[in-house]
Amino acid sequence: MSSTYRFLLATPLVAAALIGCEGFLGADQAVNDPNNPSTATAEQLFLGAQVGQFAQQEGLLAMFACVWTQQCTGTSNFLQSIEEYNTVNEDLHSAPWSAAYEGGGLTDLNVVERALSPGVRRGIVRIYKVLNVATTADAWGNIPYREATDPAQFPNPHLDPQMQVYADLQQLLDDALADLNSGTGAGPWGADLVFGGDAAPWIKVAHSLKARLYLHTAEVNGTADYTSARDQALLGISDASGAGDWVAVHGANPGEDNLWFQFSARSGFGQFLVAGRSLADLMVSRNDPRLPEYFGPATPGPGYGGQDPFGGRSPAGFSELTGTRNSATFRQPILTWEETQLILAETEFRLNGAAAAQPFVDAVRAAVGLGAKTVVSLNDVMEEKYVALFQNFEAWNDYKRTCYPPIVPAAGTFDNLVPGRVYYGNGEENANPNIPSKTQQLIDGGVGFRNPNDPNHC
Amino acid sequence: MRPGLRWLSLVAAFSLAAATRVTAQEPATVSGTIRTESGAPISEASVVIQELGLSATTRQDGKYAILVPGGRVQGQQVTILARAINYKPRTAQVTLVAGILTQDLSLAENPLQLGEIVVTGAGTATEVEKLGTVRSVVTAEEITRTNETNIVQALAGQAANVQVTSTSGEPGAGSYITIRGSRTVGIQGSGSAQPLFVVDGVPIDNSSLSTEDFNPTDGLTLGAVEGSASSNRASDLNPDDIESIEILKGAAAAAIYGSRAGQGVVLITTKKGKPGPTRWTLSSTAAANDLNRTYPLQQSWAQGIGGMAPDSADLGGGDCTPGRFECRTSWGPRIQAGTPVYDHANEAYRTGFHTTNTATVSGGNDRTLFYLSGSFDLDKGIFEGPNNEYRRTTVRFNGSHRLADNFKLGGNFAYTDANGRFVQRGNNTSGLQLDLLRSPPNWNNRPYIDPATGLQRTFRHPNPAAGDINGNPGWDNPFYTLNNFINTQRVGRAFGNVSADWDALSWLKFAYTLGADYANDERLDGGPGDASPPINGGRIVEGKAVTYQIDHNLTGTARYRISPKVAGTITLGQNLNERTYRSLANVGRGLIAPKPFKLSNTIARDPAIDDESTVRQSSVFSQVTLDLFNQLYLNGALRNDGSSTYDKDHRRAWFPKAGAAWEFTRATGSGSLITYGKLRAAYGEAGQEPDPYLTSNIYTGGLVGGQSQGTGVNVGPFGGLVSSIVKGADQLKPERTKEWEVGFDVGLFKDKADISFTNYRSKSVDVILLTPLPPSSGYQLQANNQASFRGFGQEVTLNIRPITKRDFSWDVGLQWARNRSRVLTLGGADFVKLDPNDIEPPAVAQVGEEVGVFRGQGLTRCGISNGSVILDGQSLASWCAGAKRGALYLDADGFPVADPDDRIIGNPNPRWTGSVRTTVRYRKLTLSGLLDIKHGGQMYNGTRAALLAYGTHKDTRVRADCYTYEFTGNVLDCTGNEHSFGKDGPINGPVVGAGVDPATGVGRPVPIGENWYTGVGGLFAGTDQQWIEDAGFVKLREISLSYRLDSPGIQRALGFIVDLRVSARNLKTWTKYTGYDPETNLGQAQSATRGKDYFNQPQARSYVFSVTLSR
Repeated sequence: MSSTYRFLLATPLVAAALIGCEGFLGADQAVNDPNNPSTATAEQLFLGAQVGQFAQQEGLLAMFACVWTQQCTGTSNFLQSIEEYNTVNEDLHSAPWSAAYEGGGLTDLNVVERALSPGVRRGIVRIYKVLNVATTADAWGNIPYREATDPAQFPNPHLDPQMQVYADLQQLLDDALADLNSGTGAGPWGADLVFGGDAAPWIKVAHSLKARLYLHTAEVNGTADYTSARDQALLGISDASGAGDWVAVHGANPGEDNLWFQFSARSGFGQFLVAGRSLADLMVSRNDPRLPEYFGPATPGPGYGGQDPFGGRSPAGFSELTGTRNSATFRQPILTWEETQLILAETEFRLNGAAAAQPFVDAVRAAVGLGAKTVVSLNDVMEEKYVALFQNFEAWNDYKRTCYPPIVPAAGTFDNLVPGRVYYGNGEENANPNIPSKTQQLIDGGVGFRNPNDPNHC
Repeated sequence: MRPGLRWLSLVAAFSLAAATRVTAQEPATVSGTIRTESGAPISEASVVIQELGLSATTRQDGKYAILVPGGRVQGQQVTILARAINYKPRTAQVTLVAGILTQDLSLAENPLQLGEIVVTGAGTATEVEKLGTVRSVVTAEEITRTNETNIVQALAGQAANVQVTSTSGEPGAGSYITIRGSRTVGIQGSGSAQPLFVVDGVPIDNSSLSTEDFNPTDGLTLGAVEGSASSNRASDLNPDDIESIEILKGAAAAAIYGSRAGQGVVLITTKKGKPGPTRWTLSSTAAANDLNRTYPLQQSWAQGIGGMAPDSADLGGGDCTPGRFECRTSWGPRIQAGTPVYDHANEAYRTGFHTTNTATVSGGNDRTLFYLSGSFDLDKGIFEGPNNEYRRTTVRFNGSHRLADNFKLGGNFAYTDANGRFVQRGNNTSGLQLDLLRSPPNWNNRPYIDPATGLQRTFRHPNPAAGDINGNPGWDNPFYTLNNFINTQRVGRAFGNVSADWDALSWLKFAYTLGADYANDERLDGGPGDASPPINGGRIVEGKAVTYQIDHNLTGTARYRISPKVAGTITLGQNLNERTYRSLANVGRGLIAPKPFKLSNTIARDPAIDDESTVRQSSVFSQVTLDLFNQLYLNGALRNDGSSTYDKDHRRAWFPKAGAAWEFTRATGSGSLITYGKLRAAYGEAGQEPDPYLTSNIYTGGLVGGQSQGTGVNVGPFGGLVSSIVKGADQLKPERTKEWEVGFDVGLFKDKADISFTNYRSKSVDVILLTPLPPSSGYQLQANNQASFRGFGQEVTLNIRPITKRDFSWDVGLQWARNRSRVLTLGGADFVKLDPNDIEPPAVAQVGEEVGVFRGQGLTRCGISNGSVILDGQSLASWCAGAKRGALYLDADGFPVADPDDRIIGNPNPRWTGSVRTTVRYRKLTLSGLLDIKHGGQMYNGTRAALLAYGTHKDTRVRADCYTYEFTGNVLDCTGNEHSFGKDGPINGPVVGAGVDPATGVGRPVPIGENWYTGVGGLFAGTDQQWIEDAGFVKLREISLSYRLDSPGIQRALGFIVDLRVSARNLKTWTKYTGYDPETNLGQAQSATRGKDYFNQPQARSYVFSVTLSR
């Protein structure tokens, strides 16, 4: 029996030893998440944020723009909800809202911006930050910006007026240009997925982005902003080859690939987003060489066609979004030479008339293999931009400002008008007392549910 | 040799072999029969010679024999004590002399189980009458009678306020259990609103893992609502091994388990060997299962839209292709007489077959006891094809040996091998029900393989192009889903414990248990190349998860007696527990060759899932009991719990409990009306610990962005990291449920009836939840302790035994319980989703509401919707002037409109639950039945909403003609089937608005057809509230008839007795619910959300025949 007694005596002693040792409860593997890193370098966060911005630019917001400008048509499931301007129930507006601010969005970009010393690299990061915040302001209008991503000081950020946000962003782009022009930190930077740390193309991108954002405030500010937009565009992306374009980067593997491709190939909903009749008929009538890039052959065919929101179809039937650009590694354009040229065309048209716009329109047409076309109206300019900015969020901003293309709204939801904004994310509305209810947003949004930069509905 | 003598000599041989001191003196044998007062033999009664510590157990004929070695036979007086479950113990004095002594005893019935020992957890036990809380026990017989493979499902309807929901009737599908409702919010969908399961003193894992959890890219972590079914791990227990289950309800009963007991504890005791001859049983059960309800589908209208078939010239003609949305729906032309129609509601089913074979051998002597069992279950479900079955093999060995008179060593070991093959389900383009129920009635799903190309045919892609092995079929053919996918789960589970009991002194004993629970769970989901997206191209999800729990529990209990009227016990205990989890999984895409379904046969792979966690707990506890005047029983306990999941400043916490029971009939004496009476009151605090690592601030290389499920970009492959959307908790301490319960237990009319009543009231404070943060702060969620919930309810049990004759008895048991909860605070947010991955409308906690209510979109209604919204030129408030609250707004066209603001639209929690159980026994024939009742409690019927939109639901059989398919504005041009909202419309009640006809006071007549169902009247452009249905039910859970063949003639001829049983399970359900069955849940046993149906698999009913041979 003595061994039994020893065993019994030993057990509580072992137990007491364990309990006495704070190491049992506080052991590293029991306290700190062993599955994920607890630190990240500025470069890692910047890489993550770039991918986050590519995803945001190719994501649901771009899909809303595509559907609402009738470049695309949603025919079923949640795409039908988008088509009918009913994004509330599907919670569709919440994901891109959150993405704008959370990891891969503003919070990480702010960390990186603060971590980098003045110089080229910080300038590049700031351009991404402007793109992110501008897109958020374009879609939602008044947004948290100055108080955002600082939970310790501002647990419930207030909404900043949209026009103030645009002004802040213009200033930030000026700061970015100062960084880029400083010469400090120039040279190869592997963490820059697009231009490898080269300041020169980024300087042009920054000017093009300034030009784009002046257009977003021009409906309120008028000629002055058109002038500024033109002046900036003249300094903007100037390489017609596309080598200076700001485009997303993707890999061929699932989860690294282009989101539009993922959507059509893997989501199970891909076939419910088809060519919009507005764009398809226009391109067919122009015999546009980009048709096979954008669309697959129509069913039943021959040729290309699209569907309108009311079930009507082009003579050839409708095409799916399975053109040649629908590939895993397609580098989705974010901001391009074409857009810069067409900003010049629009601003010149407004400032100096059709003839002044003509060379820029011709240049863009020539680049895609189309012959010259005499510019008579602003619509002639905007038509070029509407076709060029397929699947780009900017197409919706252009529509809100210029009312081109002359489309029939798909549903009666927002006073029989194409919606001019979307509801704040449900998570934000839930947790942040500074966010008005959806009904209040609807009232504040006025006719057509619009943002402050868009005083006139179409 | 007569059988009686044969076993007597067997006992003698055992006893001689085991006896340590054999002498030459003559031994004595005490033998006899233990009977009921009415004369029936009692089997399994234990008979003990108390002075000598010798014991035996009676056989089926009530006989026992105890051999006393000659050396201990000294002509002394000894006390023979006989006790049996459900009978009052009885003693007799015997003078021990050599030779055979006969001592028969008859025992009085003890329906109130007074004097029986109840385990109360963590190594503590007490007598029934001393409990300060209500007792809920489920016996082996009750479990066996259910014929359920899954022990959790076997608890359905067995105890008041114990609510069990099965996922579906699929073999191996999980069941979810809550006790007294949810007092917590399942953090990260871990289903932690379920109680702790403890087997023989050792906690075991009852988690549930979806294979889709290994595939965040496609699932957006929607694991539980799509993919295939997953088991809950308690189903690895063989129900036949279970002796009894004690359910510790509420914090007052469960506080001894501290921070793991906030949702109650289920204490399972497995069977042990009993001294006496070796017993064995062979049991064989065969059950046939079938679909318990046919889904209502229309059979009058063909595939198409606007009254046109997809191949009509107006739609461009030609074959269906996935891109042609007109092929999805059944809004086509009327099916002409003579055209074949197909019965999709019934075509995918067969009669399922379930066999269970169990063998046990048990026995031993007063030193050594053993119990050995093995079982094999083969359950082939009701779906056609090879992928609907569950096989489970279990073995168990429970043994103990008394090394010395005061020292016993024990060991329990169980191994389970559980293999399941499942079918894709739920919110999933390959889901069986989604594919089946959306099939147009004029489409034949067979053959499901195109004979020309060998590829699958679907109604959206009937003619796949030859060689297009990665073609997109739209949705899958249900038979393809059934036959050509593979979804397997292979679990190897080993669990058990070693224990030591040392009676160090007559008043002091120690008990030690060291237990372990190890499971290796391997999963494979394989989808072929021509499956619908996101599987399209072929996809393999392969992974494994290993869970391991080790638990050390040491208690010392001292018994004290200050005077005959003051006595009690003091227990001190210590517990250490470690739980580790590790999973490794990968998703492969693009099959190189069509088979095999292996990761190595894929072109590309998603980033691997490589996940591990460790939770540690270290606790000490103490319990003191005080028995006063043999009628007032007090107890108090205190546990100090430490857990690694809290922040470092709050790692330890105290959990107290106290209880009192007063057996007032000891003071007042038993009357003819009240023969026994007890008042009881108890208070306790128990906790809920969070998932590990919520205090860590982390970065991930995971997915960002995306346009829908199945899309998103991983930042890791680019070398990037992003901040987690979950901010590390600044402070995290245990969630605490404080509960009061009071009640009484009364025996009436000489124990012919008994009533138990319990009233409880709980408050959960510091409830841990992932509080929503404003995303503009940079994070979406952060765990904290900011919420508090209130719970209260009543439980009533009434048992009546009108007839208790030897040859004829009848008893009836009634249970009734209700539970209510209320969210008091949430710490800022308007609402919190119970499961962040829930589908719309999410189940939430919202201040002022019950936990788990649905929050979603409703229709615009007076007094409910925001009155300032402008509709048809004036504010809603002005439209509503003078109207009743809730009046439905109709727009100028006469249709209702959606309210943009979300609101609470339904409640899945039942208003009350109850059950009726009865047993009638005539001689050897026993008839028993169990009726399970759930009153109220709503279900979101998304299946119906979708099928209305697709035009296959039976409710669309009568429909407006929308033939022209010309649009005026955004409304289909429809005629006929006109209804007025408010009078005979799809929605009635008071109406207001521009669409109200002033002449009639109801809505203008509007056509109801494709226009309505593809809009607000269906799922996709609709609102949620219309799909909330009453899911209350009355279910005939079981009805069984059994007969025992145990006449002496049969026993002589066969050497064993035979029990025969025929029964039916879930034979009939009475419900208003329009889906398959009100007992279902999309989130399976994994999610704390209840009451969701979106193409869930149906339930089955079963007819069972069983034979048991035993001796």
